[in-house]
Amino acid sequence: MANRKRMVAAIATTAVAAMTLAACGGGGSSSGGGKASSGGTLYYYVYKPYEHQDPQRTYLGVQISNDTRMIYRQLVAFPISTNPDVSNKPVADLATDTGTSSNGAKTWKFTLKSGQKWQDGSTITCADLKYGASRTFATDVITGGPNYILSYLDVPQDKSGLPIYTGPYKSSAAGQAAFDKAITCDGNTITYNFNKPWPDFPLAVASLHMMDPYKKSQDQGNKSNYAMFSSGPYKLQGTWSKEKGGTFVRNKYYKSTSALKKIRQANPDKIVFQVGNTAETIYDRLIADSGNDKYAVTSNIVPPAYYSRITGAVAKRSVNVKSPYVDYLVPNFNVLTNQKVRQALAESTDVKSWIDAGGGDKAYAPAKSIVNPAVNGYKANPTFADIPESGDPAAAKKLLQEAGVQTPYPITFQYPSSDTMDKQAAALKAGWDKAGFKTTLDGLGDTYYDVIQKPSDPASVIWGGWGADWPSAITVTPPLFDSRPNITKASNGQDYGNYKSDAFNKLVDQAQNASDLSAQTTALQEADAQLGTDVGYIPLEIQKFYFLYGSKVTGFTNTPASSMYPDLGSIGVSK
Amino acid sequence: MRRIFAGVIMLILMSLVTYVLFFSGGLHPERAACGKNCSPAQWEQTKKALGYDKPAVVQWGEFLKGTVAGRTYPEDKALAKANPSLVSTCPAPCLGYSVVNTTNVSTEVKTAFPVSFSLAILAFIMWIVGGVFFGVIAALRRGTVVDRGIVGVSLIFYAFPTFWIGLFFLKFFAIQWQIFPVPSYVNLTDSPLAWLGNLVLPSLTLALIYMAGYVRMTRAFVLESFGEDYLRTARAKGLPNRRVLVKHSLRASLTPIVTMAGLDFGALVGGAIITESVFNYDGLGALAVDSVRTLDLPTIVGLVVVLAAFIILANIVVDILYAVIDPRVRLG
Repeated sequence: MANRKRMVAAIATTAVAAMTLAACGGGGSSSGGGKASSGGTLYYYVYKPYEHQDPQRTYLGVQISNDTRMIYRQLVAFPISTNPDVSNKPVADLATDTGTSSNGAKTWKFTLKSGQKWQDGSTITCADLKYGASRTFATDVITGGPNYILSYLDVPQDKSGLPIYTGPYKSSAAGQAAFDKAITCDGNTITYNFNKPWPDFPLAVASLHMMDPYKKSQDQGNKSNYAMFSSGPYKLQGTWSKEKGGTFVRNKYYKSTSALKKIRQANPDKIVFQVGNTAETIYDRLIADSGNDKYAVTSNIVPPAYYSRITGAVAKRSVNVKSPYVDYLVPNFNVLTNQKVRQALAESTDVKSWIDAGGGDKAYAPAKSIVNPAVNGYKANPTFADIPESGDPAAAKKLLQEAGVQTPYPITFQYPSSDTMDKQAAALKAGWDKAGFKTTLDGLGDTYYDVIQKPSDPASVIWGGWGADWPSAITVTPPLFDSRPNITKASNGQDYGNYKSDAFNKLVDQAQNASDLSAQTTALQEADAQLGTDVGYIPLEIQKFYFLYGSKVTGFTNTPASSMYPDLGSIGVSK
Repeated sequence: MRRIFAGVIMLILMSLVTYVLFFSGGLHPERAACGKNCSPAQWEQTKKALGYDKPAVVQWGEFLKGTVAGRTYPEDKALAKANPSLVSTCPAPCLGYSVVNTTNVSTEVKTAFPVSFSLAILAFIMWIVGGVFFGVIAALRRGTVVDRGIVGVSLIFYAFPTFWIGLFFLKFFAIQWQIFPVPSYVNLTDSPLAWLGNLVLPSLTLALIYMAGYVRMTRAFVLESFGEDYLRTARAKGLPNRRVLVKHSLRASLTPIVTMAGLDFGALVGGAIITESVFNYDGLGALAVDSVRTLDLPTIVGLVVVLAAFIILANIVVDILYAVIDPRVRLG
């Protein structure tokens, strides 16, 4: 993941991890720095350059949140709140309300508020919304972004499984006609027609920017990657430098209201993004707290080596919260075919030692499900709820005996190698070996995902990490364990453990065909329980975010809506 | 002329090796571009959009063709016909088009080059002046505390890794004591003073490492020349010591120093990866790191060619300088 040091070393891992970062979730809450004040300049430090700034191509949770608060308005958006029950419920942004569904949640209608403007003073129209959605279909130009709409929108597919509509830049007449039928504009009202129920569509709209409006006259395809045409309270001054960042100033055409202030208070007059300094340099500066650094926040977490320096007055400027991201293990069902062996593996997994080796309780909190606690309908998985954090080697030994296998039972653990991960893997190995396994560690480099995605991969247990795209388990367990879209002859997709279960898939179908959120949530909870029974995964931990901010920063908040990164919706600076 | 021809062949071969190494590594740049929940059909489409669907040798051939005839991106006739404004032109000599950075590789190189060159030239001046000066002093004071002190200190700097010295300067001189600004590259034309002020710490980081080698080398060659017959003759003729040192001893020592300096400078212009990363300077070194991290093949290949060209050019310049310094080379 882009914000994780251990993934920096693995290039391919980084690439995939970037894909796993998405909008919502999180746990815990925090705020600090006193009451937010208006005016002044806020500095925002980022280490790694952003790959995209185009709304339809942005997929990093932190970017999505920052863009929502600053430049890209959506039909509906998540409000600023540290309470997940509030923060996970979309409120109207560009639309007059949170949308109306019909036809068993296969049709959604939204009406645009009148008089909403782009940064050039022109009006945001229904056509802009439709055009924005159309860009997602141009998968040869608009790459890297979320592509859910391709499978949901009621556009026929060709033989290869791709929609016949290929985006606004070049498409057949039949494709264009199909798209025009799937999304219709009637004055200020936009209607989306889906081929299957999408009860949590407003959650998806608020969590990602794939459905954002886009002004056609500003579109230059790939050339527009870093061109930010604002509809929000700020606009880019000059150009964005991928390596250096950019400066955002107030957009005079954004008219705030008391309702919109729940989404974005837009406190600073100016927000300066500085890209490129390492986490170590950023934290040296934030700890020193001088000059502009007093007015700075960062999306980089405190490096573990700096934990001991966050004490006294400096600690008062820090927050430590649960992130939306969960790390887990998957037993390989092609190798560990005996359920008792998988259960023994789960029982003997020493999560505490794994966490300690990775930086301790400031870096991780134990997980009891692959679903993050801040996701709607979260329930601890009953299979893992009572396993002690340090594992239960005695119970695991018993299970291995019951399995009737010869011990020590040989297993191989594959993970993306780094200094920290090597130590964590060694900690797991000790626990497993104590229970009667004989563990071989197989730390991999850049080709990690290429190896584990091969159905013939001989590893017994494999590491994975995930975050929900929107606060629903529908974006967690089905994409990771539904064998139908994942497993082909050449690849297991994201189902790294080659898990195949008719019972699980049936529950996924139930969830996907549910026309209301409550029925969907119940089906997903049952699906997670099924995964636990089969030991389709073993939860490890929820990553924690540890941030420091400058002494002149006010209203510092991390919310589920900001993926627990600093929420620019509420942050200000004192003068 | 023969050297230039050999250099061009070398560049062509290096670009081929880069393509072969990249694709033999089992890397899939299309993975990130395809996004989450990517179906096999979308994967293939993304691969095609990025231009990685063709065999490596074909891609290399297109790269070579682009260097003489230019290219357009994406090479999609249907898109070019329906939406010509979306197609980017990369005029010859085209080093490729970076989809990741949405620009021509030559533009990326042009943007990053002044940063690396500024860093390299200032560091070069520091280490050459410092290295030769302290090397001569150490030779002249051979066996004394001054000699031991200079050699000892230079060895200490030589022993430290670049990132350590860089982080030390950054942490203490810039962040904690605030003697220098936290370095950030400023164009020479915007403000010469700010350009210089911001370059001091990163250049000094590089210079200290290189200087150590030059101190020891200068000292050794000057001392070696002191034992030569022609120096004894010069002294016997009654030439003053300073003239003997500058005109005869130092000149003789210059040949190996110029060789080393030329190659070091050539390599450094191509980007000081660690120093640029530590100080967040967006030079060619940082661009190389970023392109490897994002599996940006066109930028990687373009940089390999450009950096190799710097080394080849530096070699040619060194050869020319030999002739200036040492008349025997000209006679030969």
